[in-house]
Amino acid sequence: MATEEAAPPKPKKEEPRVGVYICHCGLNIAGSVDVVEVARVAEKFPGVVVSKDYRYMCSDPGQELLKKDIKENNLNRIVVASCTPRLHEPTFRAAIQEAGLNKYLFEMANIREHCSWVHLRDREGATAKAIDLVKMAVSRAVLLEEQVEQKVPVIRRTLVIGGGVAGIQSALDLADAGYQVYMVEKNPSIGGRMAQIDKTFPTMDCSICILAPKMSEAGRHPLIEIMTNSEVKSVTGYVGNFQVEILEKARMVKDTCTACGDCSKVCPVIAPNEFDMGLAARKAIYQPFAQAVPPTYIIDRNLCLNKGHVIACERCVEACLAKSIDFSLTDKTTRLDVGTIVVATGATTFDPTKLAEFGYRKFPNVITTLEFERLINAGGPTRGHLVRFTDFKEPERVAFVQCIGSRSENRGNPYCSNICCMETIKDSLLIKEHWPDVAIDVYYMDIRAFGKGFEDLYKRAKAEGIRFIRGIPAEVRETNGGDLKVIGENTLMQRVYDETYGMVILSIGLEPQEDSNVIQRLLVLNKTADGFFMESHPKLLPVDTPTKGVFLAGCAESPKDIKDSVTQACAAASRANILMARGEISVEALTPIIELDKCTGCGLCVKVCPFNALQFVGEGKGRKVQVIEAACAGCGTCGAECMFGAITNKHYTDAQILAQIDAALEVGAEKKVMAFCCNWCSYAGADFAGVSRMQYAPDVRIVRTMCSGRIAPKFIRRAFAKGAAVVLVSGCHLGDCHYINANHQTKKRVEKMWAELDRKGVRKERLQLDWFTAAEGQKFADRINEICGIATTVTAEEIQKAVAAYKEN
Amino acid sequence: MVLEKALPEQTHARYWRKPLDIDSQKIPRGKVHIIDVRCKECGFCIEFCPKDVLEKSDKYNRKGYNVVRVVKGREDMCVACKHCEDICPEFALWIEEVKG
Ligand SMILES: Cc1cc2nc3c(=O)[nH]c(=O)nc-3n(C[C@H](O)[C@H](O)[C@H](O)COP(=O)(O)OP(=O)(O)OC[C@H]3O[C@@H](n4cnc5c(N)ncnc54)[C@H](O)[C@@H]3O)c2cc1C
Ligand code: SF4
Ligand code: SF4
Repeated sequence: MATEEAAPPKPKKEEPRVGVYICHCGLNIAGSVDVVEVARVAEKFPGVVVSKDYRYMCSDPGQELLKKDIKENNLNRIVVASCTPRLHEPTFRAAIQEAGLNKYLFEMANIREHCSWVHLRDREGATAKAIDLVKMAVSRAVLLEEQVEQKVPVIRRTLVIGGGVAGIQSALDLADAGYQVYMVEKNPSIGGRMAQIDKTFPTMDCSICILAPKMSEAGRHPLIEIMTNSEVKSVTGYVGNFQVEILEKARMVKDTCTACGDCSKVCPVIAPNEFDMGLAARKAIYQPFAQAVPPTYIIDRNLCLNKGHVIACERCVEACLAKSIDFSLTDKTTRLDVGTIVVATGATTFDPTKLAEFGYRKFPNVITTLEFERLINAGGPTRGHLVRFTDFKEPERVAFVQCIGSRSENRGNPYCSNICCMETIKDSLLIKEHWPDVAIDVYYMDIRAFGKGFEDLYKRAKAEGIRFIRGIPAEVRETNGGDLKVIGENTLMQRVYDETYGMVILSIGLEPQEDSNVIQRLLVLNKTADGFFMESHPKLLPVDTPTKGVFLAGCAESPKDIKDSVTQACAAASRANILMARGEISVEALTPIIELDKCTGCGLCVKVCPFNALQFVGEGKGRKVQVIEAACAGCGTCGAECMFGAITNKHYTDAQILAQIDAALEVGAEKKVMAFCCNWCSYAGADFAGVSRMQYAPDVRIVRTMCSGRIAPKFIRRAFAKGAAVVLVSGCHLGDCHYINANHQTKKRVEKMWAELDRKGVRKERLQLDWFTAAEGQKFADRINEICGIATTVTAEEIQKAVAAYKEN
Repeated sequence: MVLEKALPEQTHARYWRKPLDIDSQKIPRGKVHIIDVRCKECGFCIEFCPKDVLEKSDKYNRKGYNVVRVVKGREDMCVACKHCEDICPEFALWIEEVKG
C-alpha cells in the first residue's frame, strides 16, 4: 500500500512570483544564444519578478543564487533555462526544495539540446526560439501547483537476466547482501562466453578454473534461484514493483540426474556441440560442458526423435539408472515479483562469413578466435592440440588478422570491439608457450593495449618474436595442401606483402545479441547506434537505464573484457542494493484527480488505462471512476480521453499545456511547427540530436509530456486555432511505449483528427505523427527539417481557414 | 562417411564444421526388413518414422496395396529405434540392429 509522505498541500492562492534564470553553460548556450537578451525579454513576461543570466546554473554558486533569490524576493515559482530536464531537473528541484519551495513549482526550458546545439550557426533563430521556450516555461510555471509524492514499497528481490560472468557476479553480490535473486539464463548452463575461453588476458589465468567456483557458488547459494533454458516472457509494473513472467522450458531430465552420461552414450542423434563451436559433437541428450551449472543433462527437443506426444525412442530412458528422464515434463511459467532487474545478457561474436575475402567457410584452415579458444583448450575437441582442419597437423606459421567485423562502416560494425587486440596477443603467447617453433604474424590496424597490464603483455609478445605487421590483408587465398596465402599492403613500410601460412586466425569482434530486441521491448530500454543497450548517462550513470530499477552489466552494454564486466556487475548490484535497502521510494505525483461531479461514469478512461489503475465505484447511473494511485504510472492517457473534463492530470494539466501552446504561438505562428514529444523516446531522441549537434531548422517548439498518450485532441485543435503551420505528435515506436501501449491511443486519436481535418477542409499534411527512439537523433533532425519544409508550403489562407475552423478552441 | 549423413540439418548455421570427434561417436544403426505381403498401406510407419526413412513405393503386393520401402539414399539413416515395428498393425516390418 502506498503511504502519504506528509499532510496534503494547503491550497495556496497566492500570486505567482516567478524567478527566471538563463544559463550560459559556458559557451554551450551563450555561444549561439544571446542569453542576456533572453533574460531581458523574459523580465516582462507576466508573473516574472526576477530574470537573470548566469554562467553555470547547475554549479553550487548557481544553485545558491536560486536559493538566495527565493528567500529575498519571496519567489514561489522557478524557471531555469539551460540543458534538458532529463539531465538536471532533479538537481534544481532539490535546490528549490532546500529553499523551502515544493519541488513541483519548478519548470525547465531546454535551450541547449533543443536550441543552442541544434542551431549553432543561426544566432538570431536560436535566440528567438530560446525566448519562446522561456515564455512557454513561464506560462506553464505560473499554473504549477504543489504536489505531494507517494511512497511505495520496494520489493527486496532481484531478477538477473543472463548468467554470464557479469550476471553471476551481480547475483552473488546481491544474494550476499541478503536479497533473494532469480537468475534467468536462456542456455542450458550458466557461464556465458567466459566458460568457453581458454586462458584470460592479461594475467593468463585459466578461464574456467576461476569461473567454475563462482558458477557453483551461485548454484549452491541459498538465496539464488537459477532458471536455465528459460526466458523472460513479460514484464509489467514499475521500479520496486515489477511483475515478471519466466518461461522455463522443460529439460526432460529431472534434477535427480547424477550426470553419469549413460544416456548420451546410447542416444542415436548427433549434433555439433555449440559450446565447442561445433568442433566437437554432442548427442540429443547432453551436458553442454563438464563444469555446467546445473550439471543436469538436457534433451534438445528439436533433435530428439520424440516429437510432441509420440515416443519413438526410449534408449536414454532405458539407460538411465537414476530414472531421471521424464518425457511427461512440461514447460513451466513462473510469475515473480521483484523490485529491481539486472540485464546481463552479454554479446555474441561477429560471423566472418560475410567478409568473403578472408575465405572463412571456404578454406577450412581459416578459423575464428573463438574456435581457437576451443581448439587450444585442454578440455576441447583436440585436447588442446593446435592442429589445422585439413590434415590435423600442427601449422608451422600462423597469421592473426585483427579487427574482423570491427572499426569499419560498411564491413561489419563501426565500433572497436575492445577485446580483440589483447585476445590475439594472449592467443599468440599461448601458442608460443606450447609450440615455441611456430612463427606468428599479426596483421593489425592499430594495437590497442590500454588497460592495466596490457602493455606488458604486448611487450612480452614482441619479445617472444611475434611479428606485428600494420595493414589488414586484402585477401586470403588457398594454395597447395590447405596452405593459405595472405596478401596485402604493409602500410608502415608501404610495401606489398604476400606470405604463406598453415593457419589464419580471424580476430572477430563482438556484436549485440541477436535477440536483444526482445529484452529491449520488455524492459523499455534504449539502444545506442551500435545496437548495445544505452545507459542513462555515459559518464555519471553508467549502469542505470532510463527505466528506473533496471540496471546494466557486462557486454550487454558494450563490448568489454572480463574485468570491466565484473566491475560493472558489482556496480549494478550496488545500485540495485541502494534501492532495495531503502525499502521504499517516492513516485512522481503524476496521478489523475477525478472530479466526481463531472464524471459521468462513461468508462472511456477505464478502457484506455494501460495499468488498470482506474476502477468503477457504484452501480448504474450513479457509477463513477476512482484512481488506484499505487497502480497508476502517470502516463496521462486517461486525461486525454475524458470528454467531460472530469480528469485533471497532476503536473500536466490541460491548462498548463494549453498555456504552453498559446505562448509558443503568440508571435509568428504561421511559420511554426508545434511539436508534442513524449519524455522517454521522442523528447530523448531530440536530446540526442542535440548532444550529437545535428542541425535542423529553428521553427519547431516542443511541449514535453510524459507519454504521447497525454496529447489530447484539444491540444492539436488549440494549436491550429492559434495559427500553427504544422502540428507534430510524436512518441515511442508502437510496441516500445514506456506505458505498455498507451501510444496506441495516440495513434487512434491522431487518425481521428486527420478525419476531422479532412471534414473541415484543413490539409491533413499539417498534422504529422511519427515515432522516434531515444537513439534516433538523426531521424528526428531529418524529420524536423522535412516538416519545417511542409510548414513553408502552408499559405496564409490555409492558416486562416484552420484558425476559423477551430476558433472556439 | 556414414555418420556424417546422420548429422541433423537443423542446428544453427554458425556450427558448420564437421565435428572433429565425429568418428568416435557411436550411434546405433538399423537395417529395415519389409515383408511386402503383409503391408496394407496404412502409412503409419511412414508418418511416424523420426528419421523419415520410409516412403510409399509404386509396387503393388498381392493384396493390391502400394507397399512401403526405404527411401533411396536414406538407407543409413535408420537408428534402430524400432518405432515402426511397434506401430505396424500388420507386423510387416522389423529392424535388424547392425553393429558399427
Ligand atoms: C573469443 C573471445 C575471447 C575472449 N578472451 C578474453 C580474455 O582473455 N580476457 C578477458 O578479460 N575477456 C575476454 N573475452 C571477453 C569476455 O568473454 C567477456 O568480457 C565476458 O564474457 C562478458 O560477460 P557477460 O556476462 O557480460 O556476457 P556473456 O559471457 O556473453 O554472458 C551472457 C549470458 O547471458 C545469456 N543471455 C543472453 N540473452 C539472454 C536472454 N534474453 N535471456 C536469458 N539469458 C540470456 C547468454 O546465454 C549468456 O550466458 C573474450 C571474448 C571472446 C569472444
Ligand atoms: S529419446 Fe531422444 S534423447 Fe533419448 S536417446 Fe532417444 S533420441 Fe536421444
Ligand atoms: S491512464 Fe495513465 S495516468 Fe491515467 S490512471 Fe492509467 S496509468 Fe494513471
